[in-house]
This record gives sequence, structure tokens and C-alpha cells, in this order.
Amino acid sequence: MNKWWIAAVSALALLNGCASVPQGSIPVVDSGVPVSNNERISAQRTAGSYPQAAVPRAAQARTITEDSGVVVMVPGGAASVSTPISTQPFTPGPITPGPAAAPISTGSYTPSNTYSAPAPITPSGIPSNSSGGGLAADEQLDGPVLALLTTAQQQQSSGDLNGASSSLERAQRVAPREPQVLYRLAQVRMAQGDAAQAEQFARRGLTFANGRPDLQASLWGLIAQAREKQGDAAGAALARQKAKVSL
Amino acid sequence: MTRTRSPRSRSKRPSGGLRPWLGWAIKLSLVGLVVLAGFAVYLDAIVQEKFSGKRWTIPAKVYARPLELFVGQKLSKNDFLTELDALGYRRESVANGPGAAAVNGNTVDLNTRGFQFYEGAEQAQPVRIRFSGDYVAELSSTNGSKLPVVRLEPLLIGGIYPKNLEDRILINIDQVPPFLLDTLVTVEDRDFYHHFGVSPKSIARAMWVNTSAGQMRQGGSTLTQQLVKNFYLTNERSLTRKLTEAMMALLLELHYDKREILEAYLNEVFVGQDGQRAVHGFGLASQFFFSQPLAELKLHQVALLVGMVKGPSAYNPRRYPERALMRRNLVLDLLEQQGVATPEQVAAAKKMPLGVTTRGSLADSSFPGFLDLVKRQLREDYRDEDLTEEGLRIFTSFDPILQMKSEAAVGETFKRLAGRKGSDEVEAAMVVTNPETGEVQALIGSRAPGYAGFNRALDAVRPIGSLIKPAVYLTALERPSQYTLTSWLSDEPLSIKGADGQIWKPQNYDRRSHGTIFLYQSMMNSYNLGTVRLGQEVGVPNVLKTLARLGVERQFPAFPSMLLGAGALSPMEVATMYQTLANGGFNTPMRGIRSVLTAEGQPLKRYPFQIQQRFDPGSIFLIQNAMQHVMREGTGRSVYNVLPKNLTLAGKTGTSNDSRDSWFAGFSQDLLAVVWLGRDDNGKTPFTGATGALQVWTSFMSKAGPLPLDMPQPDNIVQAWIDPHTGQGSDASCPGAVQMPYIRGSEPPAGASCGGQAPATGDAVMDWVKGWLN
Repeated sequence: MNKWWIAAVSALALLNGCASVPQGSIPVVDSGVPVSNNERISAQRTAGSYPQAAVPRAAQARTITEDSGVVVMVPGGAASVSTPISTQPFTPGPITPGPAAAPISTGSYTPSNTYSAPAPITPSGIPSNSSGGGLAADEQLDGPVLALLTTAQQQQSSGDLNGASSSLERAQRVAPREPQVLYRLAQVRMAQGDAAQAEQFARRGLTFANGRPDLQASLWGLIAQAREKQGDAAGAALARQKAKVSL
Repeated sequence: MTRTRSPRSRSKRPSGGLRPWLGWAIKLSLVGLVVLAGFAVYLDAIVQEKFSGKRWTIPAKVYARPLELFVGQKLSKNDFLTELDALGYRRESVANGPGAAAVNGNTVDLNTRGFQFYEGAEQAQPVRIRFSGDYVAELSSTNGSKLPVVRLEPLLIGGIYPKNLEDRILINIDQVPPFLLDTLVTVEDRDFYHHFGVSPKSIARAMWVNTSAGQMRQGGSTLTQQLVKNFYLTNERSLTRKLTEAMMALLLELHYDKREILEAYLNEVFVGQDGQRAVHGFGLASQFFFSQPLAELKLHQVALLVGMVKGPSAYNPRRYPERALMRRNLVLDLLEQQGVATPEQVAAAKKMPLGVTTRGSLADSSFPGFLDLVKRQLREDYRDEDLTEEGLRIFTSFDPILQMKSEAAVGETFKRLAGRKGSDEVEAAMVVTNPETGEVQALIGSRAPGYAGFNRALDAVRPIGSLIKPAVYLTALERPSQYTLTSWLSDEPLSIKGADGQIWKPQNYDRRSHGTIFLYQSMMNSYNLGTVRLGQEVGVPNVLKTLARLGVERQFPAFPSMLLGAGALSPMEVATMYQTLANGGFNTPMRGIRSVLTAEGQPLKRYPFQIQQRFDPGSIFLIQNAMQHVMREGTGRSVYNVLPKNLTLAGKTGTSNDSRDSWFAGFSQDLLAVVWLGRDDNGKTPFTGATGALQVWTSFMSKAGPLPLDMPQPDNIVQAWIDPHTGQGSDASCPGAVQMPYIRGSEPPAGASCGGQAPATGDAVMDWVKGWLN
């Protein structure tokens, strides 16, 4: 275990050193601020200052950055097509329950008008929906979740799968029922070589993806991959079938 | 040793004719010199070895979850301020510098401190947060730009110490607050920057003072000597030790510069005792007394800490506040007199209160129950030495706000129920988790907050009574062709012949039978006869299999009495079981630890979130529906005397034989809590699950303000209108018709429409539907 992390950390440190940050692309800033109890720390691991595609990965999503905002790329079910999750105005408030189940004790808070998110960004030149990985316009993410998914994306691109996993779990705590978070968790588990957990997270995502056929298809696609990895060819075929039906 | 005394005393009276003596003296002193040099070399090795290596072993530090801030988060301003206070944020009119907060109505400005987390560093930054109701409505930087998510630094909730251990938080000399070094030098050793480790001037002054006073008033020790004494030597008072100390002080000064020595002193100095734990160093002292990082301390706090060095127990500001205040002001006077601080600064500092955290506040509480859980989980991965010496940082899921609410719920409920005979001997345990993440957020191992003994939440293994019943009904509901929520079930008396030939005749709690009822009604009223009959039909081994799939690892024999909860579990095991019910049939191993960092902030280990689907979401949806009936109109209904009607909750009461154990387990969307009440000697209590544990649970939930349970309806579930009396299919237009969920295909055939008639009211089922909608 020790050897492993020493290698990983030194690799990160090396990458860090080479990294230059495209302006405006990364919401997290390197900081070596002392911890509150004044213990000495070295902030070597900075979530963020990694170049895009620092570690080339064939079937991995990339982060596209624009000055006006961030678009998270979610790879498609076939793992070859990347499709965007757009940032659209969202409705804050308890994320999971709908408006009917909103705050119990207070009626004074009307969340819909309190936050203005950046305008939707439609990146040009990106295939929107070709082989079953497309996410429709209903795939909206709100501020904290989007920020954390972006961080996770950057960590994953730089090969820091543990960091990505940790950021995604943080996102899952913020929005426990957001299927896109569970989808990303499943993807990272897959990249970590844990196909069984990848399948489980995708299945959990499905239970929250009612009425979102594109996302369902992506989740089933991921389940198919995971089952294949686990040597379950029949199950994988079944999941592929489902992926098609969902669309 | 010998050199200093003998040669001098002899050389004082040199007289003619005593040349042989002189020769002897020279030889003797030469031998003495050699011995002394050898001793010095020996001491030098000690001095250097200990000072250049790892100077201290540091116990692992355990942190609570960091409070996450984002728009839409459920967080009341009061809870937020409680957390800020515990983190030692200073309240100022305008937040200025790290660790300061300014409250203006619903808006709080603060300067976070920054922290190294597993995922990376959280930077220190100015943050403005606006609350609306119990939610965060706005989060921005103080310059107005929106922030998506901000983490506060986590509360330090404890450490992992062997017995009688020194604890410290290492600090760097560059991190000390203004005045600290000057104050320390002024009070303890004014010649520090000029002497070589020992100060003849101070010794002379001390001797003069002591001889003229006729007693030991003043010590002549320099800071270096004090450091040597604490760092290398025992507390023995002898001339030999004093001389060794002086020599080592000289050697230390020879090898290391003043700042290094001063830094070591800052970390070594003893400033107080916390039970078994000795508080060393100003870094920990600052956290221990003020709950603040050392760098943020102000003049009055610095003066107090430095003043305490003279007598940590005599000037303990918590035990002897007046004496400590006098000492602090004396130090402040000295600073003014020596020109370290201006008269204005001193006057302002003197007006300040001592400022130590108050007992019973979050900052001054201990959470031995949860720490025990953390230690047990850590011991599976680390050796004891790693935990007590390496300064690891353990990040947990502990939520101090929920913990305080749990403790308050237990305390207040016992106070309210104190009239019941025998309630004094009743103990309590409680586990609070987040069902959506499987993280343990609060844990109570004893009725008395802060009690560090028997941890009932983990170790009180008791018969769970009716808490078993969801497993029985779930086993049935997984067979939709045979059972639905509205299947008829007989609650007539029955007797079962056991393998040993004995006849078992279960009884209902009210000792009556209730005829033929719907399956969900038997569950919500916790009828034993109906449950045993159903359990016999589906088979006890199958019920035990369901229990195992729910996450219970303990093995039980397949006796019919298991159907009524004769099997014993700990509150933590019950939480695991209900977790699976609450989380859509996905089982999660309970986690208390998120990650571990090294002392330098490097990632060491993660405890990842893991889930496993154990049940079809449809059958879980049905059992959750039945558990909602428990709360709406069954044994748990008293909860709505306190909580709002539109708060959907699910749960189950449990009472073991003769009310020896009072249980309640239940959940909302985001909170799961298991409460156990009972006696350590397993005696009878005056409580059932509903009159005891449920009361604690209700009190907790009313404080915690949970989100209503809202499981998304799975694809294979249909809602059908039925006649509440016959269970036959009906229509939305028919009087009294109610909706019930079914696994697709198991619903009764739809009934004919009743035209435009308005639904009539009056019966029980209708009432709960109305109550639900209202």
C-alpha cells in the first residue's frame, strides 16, 4: 500500500510541476494555507492544476473549458462518444424531493428566484447524440454538483482516480439522488477496475432516472460493460438490449 | 562532577610544603576532566540524537465531517453558528482575518481558514452566506461573486491515545501569533537571546531572592534549561540532575540556534491535564482552551497561556478562573512595564474575559461513543503504534450538530418520562445514519453524554422484538403472485409445535385477536398472531435469509419465535438492517471513516462508498409503504403529535418480552435513527417501543428537521384504487376509495366508475389518506 501511494503522489507532484492552468477553467485554486490547528501541511495535491488529458486515455471523457463556464463531458454508453451535460438554470432547495415535498417547517423560502446560474452553453461541434450515449436537455445540474463533477473530471483526467472518487462521493452527499453523480461514480469505479461496484452504482442510478431515457440508456450501457468485465456475457447482452429499449 | 568541588576547595588553601598535594590535585583534576569530557560526549550524543530525529510522537487526530455550504442546503442559521462557535470563530462586527465571523440578520460573513482534505486543499477565503428559513439561500464571496460550494474546516473531535499520553499539535515558529515569543521571553527568561543556555545572572538573582526570602521563590532556569528538563530528564530534584541539565543546555545551545530551541520549547511545554491526556505545547493548548488555531490568538489569550506555564494546574482557567485572571493581568502589566505592549494594548486586553470555551458547549464536549466506533474500524487496518504515534489525520462522517441533537433528545425525553417508575435505571443507545450514503453521523453509547464506558450502541446485543417484522412482511411481498399489501391475513390464535415437542402459543400485545385483516394492517399494528402465521407460510428460514440480505451477519436458528424478534442484535446492526430498507433495497456497509491522511497531509487511505442491490425496488417500495402506515395510523402514530403531518416517515416499534427492551427504528429521506432503551441487567422497563424509544426518536427528529421520505416509484409499481373494506378494485370516483401500490400484475382488477359522486369520509383508512394530503 505504501509503495503504491508514494509512487502515485510523486507522479502527481511531477504532473503538478508541469501543469499550467488555462485561465478560468478551473474552479479550485492551489492553496497551501495551513490547517486550522496549525499543523504543518504540504498542499502538494491540489485539486485542479492538472493539464487536460495529461494522462492520455483512449475512452475517457475530456473537459472542455470556455471562458463563460464549464461543460462536463459524459462519455456515451459505447465509451467512444462524449456528450455534454449542459449547465442550465436550476432550482435550488432540497435537491432530492420535488416541490411537493419541499421544506417542512418553512413556507417562506422560494428557492427558484434566488440563484441565477450561467446561461446554458451549447458547445458547438460536438456530436450530440449518435450511438446511445446522448443526454437530453433535461439533464440539468446545479452549482455545487456541477462544480464537484468538474473537479472529479479533472482529477480523473490526470489519473487521480482516488481523488476523483472522493470528489464524486462528496457530490453524492450533496445530491444523493442525482443519477448523473451515480453514473460518474460508476464510471470511475470501472476505471479503477471494480466492475462489480460500477454495475451497482449504475443500477442505483437507474432507480433515480425515471423519465430520462438517454441517461437510462447510458446507465444500461455501462452495466453492459461492467457485466462483460465480470464475465457475464449473457447479462451484458441483456443490458445492451435494455440500453436500446430505453432510447 | 568531582572537578568543580574538590580542586577548588583544595586550591583555596595552598601553602608551602604541600607540593605533593598540589601534584595530586592536578592529577585528580586531569582525571576529572577526562571523566567530564566523556560524560559531555555522552550527553552530547543524547542531546543531538533526540533533538535531530523525530522529536515527538503524535497521536492520530480525529475530525468530524467538514460542514459543506451550498445554495439549497438544509442548514439553519442557529446550527451554523453553533458550528462556527465550536470551531472558535470570533464574532466581530466586520469579519477581519481568518477565523472571524460577522452576523447581520440572516447574513453571515466569515473568513474560512482553509484545510488540507483528501481530495485536495480547501483554500481560506472570505464567504458570505445568507439563510432563508432553514436553508442556505445564497453563497458568495464577499466581493459578490457566487460560490458553488464551500467547506469549512472540520471540527477536531478527539485523538487516539494510549493511557497517560502526551498530546500535542505541532506548530511552526513562523505560525505563532504576535506577542507570543516576546511574552514568553519576558516572563520566563529575559536574557534568552543573550545567554549560552545557562544564565549566571538569573541564577545569582534567584539565589539573592531566595536567600532574602528564606524560601524557594524564584528559579534561575533559562528557557533552554526548562526545555532540557522536560525533554530529556525526569522530574527528580537533585544537584546532579541540575548539573546535567545545565550541561545539556549548554550543549543544546552549541548545536542549535535560538529559534530552533524556542520552537521546541513552544511544542514541549506542559500547559494542562485533560483526564489521562497531558496537554503539551501552545498549539494544542490554544485548541484546548480557546478552540482556536494558535496563530489567531490575541494578546489577552497569549498572556493567559504564557502565564499558565508557571503552574498549569494552579492557574487552570477553567478550574480557577479568578486566579488565572489575576495571573494573566500580572503578565500583561509586566509586558507594559518592559515595553513589549503599549499601555493602550494592555488596557484593552485587560478588559477582555478569559475567553476559554465553556463546558457543555460543542467545542468542550467529547464523543467517546463515536470515537470508539472509529477506533474499532481503524484497528482493522492499523497497528496501535501507527495510531498513537504517527500523527495520522482521520476524517470521519461524524456530524457534531446531529450528535448534540441526539444527546438533547435522550436527555429531554428521560426528563419528561422521569415519572415512570424504574425509568432511572433505564439506559439508552442510539445510532444516527444517513440512509443515502451509509455514513454514521451520530452515536450514543450511554444515557450520560460523554460517558466513555460500555458502548451500548455497538455492544448491547438485545432481542429486537417487532423490529424483525419488516423482514417477515418483505419476504412475503417479494412474492407478488401470493401476497400484496391488501392480502387477507388471519390474526386468530394459533399454536405451533416446536421440534422439541413443546407447544408455542404466541399472543398479541393486547392479548386479543383481530380477526381477518389486510397484510399491511397486521404490520402497522404489529400484530403477533398475523405475523407468525405469515412467517410460517413463507417459512422461517426464508425470513432469516431476508434478514441476512438486509445486512445482518449474525446467524440465528430457524425457530418460530424468531418471527417475533427473539434474535438479538446491537443498535448498530439494526441500523444496517434498516439502512437497506431505507435505501431502496441497496445494502451499504456502515462507515464512520471517510479517509486517512498522513501527518503531512498526504492521502493514505480511503474508505470508499460501496453499495449492493439486495432487493427489487418494487418490494422495498411496498414495505416502505407499510412502514409509513405504521407512522400514520399504527404503533408509531404518536410521532405526528409532535411532527408536521406532511412529513412522511417510515419506521417500526419493537418491544421485547416484559418490556425489557424498548426499540424504535425509522427513517426519513435523509436521516435514519435507531433508538434502544433498556437496562444493563436486562430487567423490566416501564417502556414499550412506542412509549420509550419512539419518544426519543420523535424528539430527535423534531430537532433535526428531516426531509420527507420520498422514494421514487419504481417501474414495476402501479397505484390502484381499492375499496378500503373489501380490498376489491375500485375507482377514483367511488366513495371511500383509496390508492394502494402493487407490483404490476398483482393489483386487483379495476372497479367500475361510481359516476361523479363525491367521496364520502368517515373511516380510518380514509382518514390517513386525508391526513397525508393535508
